[in-house]
Amino acid sequence: MSRYLLRRSAGWLLMVVAVTNLTYLLAWAYLDPRSNYVGRRPPLSEQQIVNLLEPRNLDDGTPLLERWWNWFSSILFRWDWGVSPTGQSVNDQVAYRMWISGELMLGATILLTVLGIALGVYSASRQYRLGDRVAQGTSIITMNIPIVVAALGIVLLAIAFNNAVGSTVFYVTGSSSPGVSGFLPTLLDSVQHIALPTAALVLVGYAQYHFLQRSLLLDNIKSDYVRMARAKGLTKAQAVRKHALRTSLIPVTTQVAFSIPAIFTGAVLTESIFAWKGMGQYFIETISKNDVNGVVAVAAFGAVMTAVGAILADIAVVVLDPRVRVS
Amino acid sequence: MATESFPLADATSDPLVGGGDTPPVEPGPGERKRLTKWQLYSRRFVRNRPAVAGIVIFVLLVAFALVGPLFAKYDHVELDFLALSDPPNPDHWFGTNNAGNDLYAMVVVGLQRSLLIAVVVATGTTILSAVIGTAAAYFGGRIERFALFVIHFLMVAPTFLLLAMMSNDSGGDWKVIALVLILVSWFFQARTIWTLSLSLREREYVHAARYMGVPGMRIVLRHLIPNIGSLLVINFTLGVVGAVMAETGLSFLGFGVKLPDVSLGSLIGIGASSMSSAPWMFYFPAAALTLLTVSMALVADGLRDALDPTSAAGGRA
Repeated sequence: MSRYLLRRSAGWLLMVVAVTNLTYLLAWAYLDPRSNYVGRRPPLSEQQIVNLLEPRNLDDGTPLLERWWNWFSSILFRWDWGVSPTGQSVNDQVAYRMWISGELMLGATILLTVLGIALGVYSASRQYRLGDRVAQGTSIITMNIPIVVAALGIVLLAIAFNNAVGSTVFYVTGSSSPGVSGFLPTLLDSVQHIALPTAALVLVGYAQYHFLQRSLLLDNIKSDYVRMARAKGLTKAQAVRKHALRTSLIPVTTQVAFSIPAIFTGAVLTESIFAWKGMGQYFIETISKNDVNGVVAVAAFGAVMTAVGAILADIAVVVLDPRVRVS
Repeated sequence: MATESFPLADATSDPLVGGGDTPPVEPGPGERKRLTKWQLYSRRFVRNRPAVAGIVIFVLLVAFALVGPLFAKYDHVELDFLALSDPPNPDHWFGTNNAGNDLYAMVVVGLQRSLLIAVVVATGTTILSAVIGTAAAYFGGRIERFALFVIHFLMVAPTFLLLAMMSNDSGGDWKVIALVLILVSWFFQARTIWTLSLSLREREYVHAARYMGVPGMRIVLRHLIPNIGSLLVINFTLGVVGAVMAETGLSFLGFGVKLPDVSLGSLIGIGASSMSSAPWMFYFPAAALTLLTVSMALVADGLRDALDPTSAAGGRA
């Protein structure tokens, strides 16, 4: 098991390294740190700009290969991801931002997967009855609401709710309030902040698992081994839970891994709407400020999240599927 | 007239081809009237009520995008300094923003832009994914391995980031945005098509064509792709939904379509900044956008019921 996981992880690590390097090279083709200094008042001379950019490894006068090696070797040997055009360390930025985004993405992923699977089981066991029809009708609409509209709609509802109650139950901006201390107050405060962005991500994301789980479970419920289980005397609920559900969960877990990039994209948009200072907001900031090193760090974060999701999916498949033997 | 007589002539010249298009035979006693292919499709489609609602909404939206400008009293870049941040009124049907732009005109232009990008992207993605997916399955070997490597690589690659970088660099030119969107969104569909084509390439007619000496690429185009036609139709409609969402997301962040050009995404972006003072700036573009994506998704759902012979959701026939 551990050897199998090690091998898979090594494969994913290679993929992440390749993606990160490719993004570095592509970023130089589309971002131009020099343009940040053009049009300054008072105007900077060519030499002044070079003097500013050179020590930050952001001067496009240096050959691309040399820039790349400077960047890559400093990550490899010192775990230093470089600095922004204004000299801020990328490591410092990512170090606190990744937890903010990670919290949002992880919470949303778990919630929407569980909700989707639960709804899928519910509607498969009531195929074509009222409950199934209503659930499917709702899901096809929520799945296709653009995340921007969903998030802003939730903001409007939350503001109306706060006004109706007369106190701020849900915060619509930021990931935490300043000056909150103690364990319980901090927990309550972060729940008040995280509830709305998570709700937006879950609202648009759960439906794909609902449909997937429903159709997989329906295929399995009709299969011979479930009929066999029923014939042995299991109740329908037992047969579905112990035999049909377990097999049909396997494709769902692999799907979860590959939907992480989509959740990350959703997180970029929700973070920008809810003014979270996470990786998503960093994504927007780095692109608009021509921060090559920062952009690459965001890409690496996204790729690592995908890889982590894929490895977790591998583990889940091994646990769920008795046919997969890895040792 | 020529087009009407074509299937008839075709059917008489070769009774084996176009079996679905043969003219309906007089029903004998106890025999059900035969349906043509299109009658069958449309009957199964119409049975899905939400899909019919979807196509009606979609047609109305397209009509609104095409005919809407005729009724507009203002141009979308024209500034009305006497009506800044006006709520909807008889003069400005959807209200105005804080610079005095007429929101009705902006929504019409934004809808046109979003629709155009979506249709171009969905067409491009469908063609690209169909050719790459089937060709990879048919040729196998090195071509297949390479195609799958590219697909898996793109699954990990931060495509939205690359998309944002490239379209930001282009300065908001919708043609560049469409092109880049095609490049980063074909691979998911290509993978599905590849999986399906694996069984398709083992069919007798494909073998027969190969032994007759038909060149490989022609087999792919003439024998494999037409056989996944119904999937491609569904992919196209879902591709429209995906493209609209990606484009509006980009434009919302300010990396997509840029002023003076507007899209539904950039309009929502403007509306988001004045949610409490001028909520209509958000309501109208958001409503147009949601109607567009949801209606297309409902149509895709209905098409799946209509075109998939194994689907039971449409009832019998």
